[in-house]
Amino acid sequence: MILPDIGEEGQRRLKAARVCIVGLGGLGSISSMGLAAAGIGYLRVVDCDRVELGNLNRQFLHGTDDVGRFKSDSARDRLLALNPEIRIDGWNVKVAQENAQDVVGDCSLIVDGTDNLATRKVLNRMAVQKGIPFVYGGVEGFEGMVTTIVPGQSPCLECLFPGEDRTVDREIGVPGPMPGVVASLQALEAIKYLTGIGPALSGRLLLIRALDMSIHEMQVDRNPRCTVCGSMERNRG
Amino acid sequence: MKEETILITVEGFPERVVEGTTIAQLVERYGIEDHHLIVEKNGRFVYPQDYGTTRVEAGDDIEMVHPDFGG
Repeated sequence: MILPDIGEEGQRRLKAARVCIVGLGGLGSISSMGLAAAGIGYLRVVDCDRVELGNLNRQFLHGTDDVGRFKSDSARDRLLALNPEIRIDGWNVKVAQENAQDVVGDCSLIVDGTDNLATRKVLNRMAVQKGIPFVYGGVEGFEGMVTTIVPGQSPCLECLFPGEDRTVDREIGVPGPMPGVVASLQALEAIKYLTGIGPALSGRLLLIRALDMSIHEMQVDRNPRCTVCGSMERNRG
Repeated sequence: MKEETILITVEGFPERVVEGTTIAQLVERYGIEDHHLIVEKNGRFVYPQDYGTTRVEAGDDIEMVHPDFGG
């Protein structure tokens, strides 16, 4: 890598990293390509859905020939074509509390590509429990948000969205490039964390509004009463 | 007795509210029912548990953001 901030040592760190990307839709498509091309040594790409024609306006990881295939298979093929020098596993599983440890427990970083709060909360809990950084990203319409959760240092997702998941199940439309904006920022955060530059969005929620092309940030403090990171910390000591 | 009002900014627009108004009352006033709404006061996230006890003050800048959970 010719980037002085990364250099050979940074590239070695990327090669030694194990990253799990959960969700291979609009977000996961772009973050996985960015991380595969950056030379992450081991990528685990996880999704239980099949590719549908309606996905293709934003899920650039998959093509028309992939319609009907499992996204985890399609993603693996595409990412290996992009970088055959890295190891990639495609896992066709639905992430839940029961299997979360198997899916992400041995990884050095988790990248969020999911499309619902419930799965994010499962990942957040596992990330905090295992001390694995978790890069959250979400999109809706022309808006998106990103933050990096560094267990023990930053607020966790439960600090931001406490209590039971009460989101209403609905189809959320997004213009094709929108998830790419958010997912590119997630991939950058991952690369910075793994190379030791450090994530910039720990304790900051970045809000992107594409309609007026504005980027805004919000300071978020850890919630001492958080039922996930607060209670785990209390239990530790 | 006339209630004292203060001037704050909500979503970029000036707004007069009764002195002592809480974030919870402000959210109710705007009729927002999003359980996972994000409220920002002067650039800082307000914990939802504190909506009922956090009062706005003159000059406060309040943003209410709907979270993005799509992917």
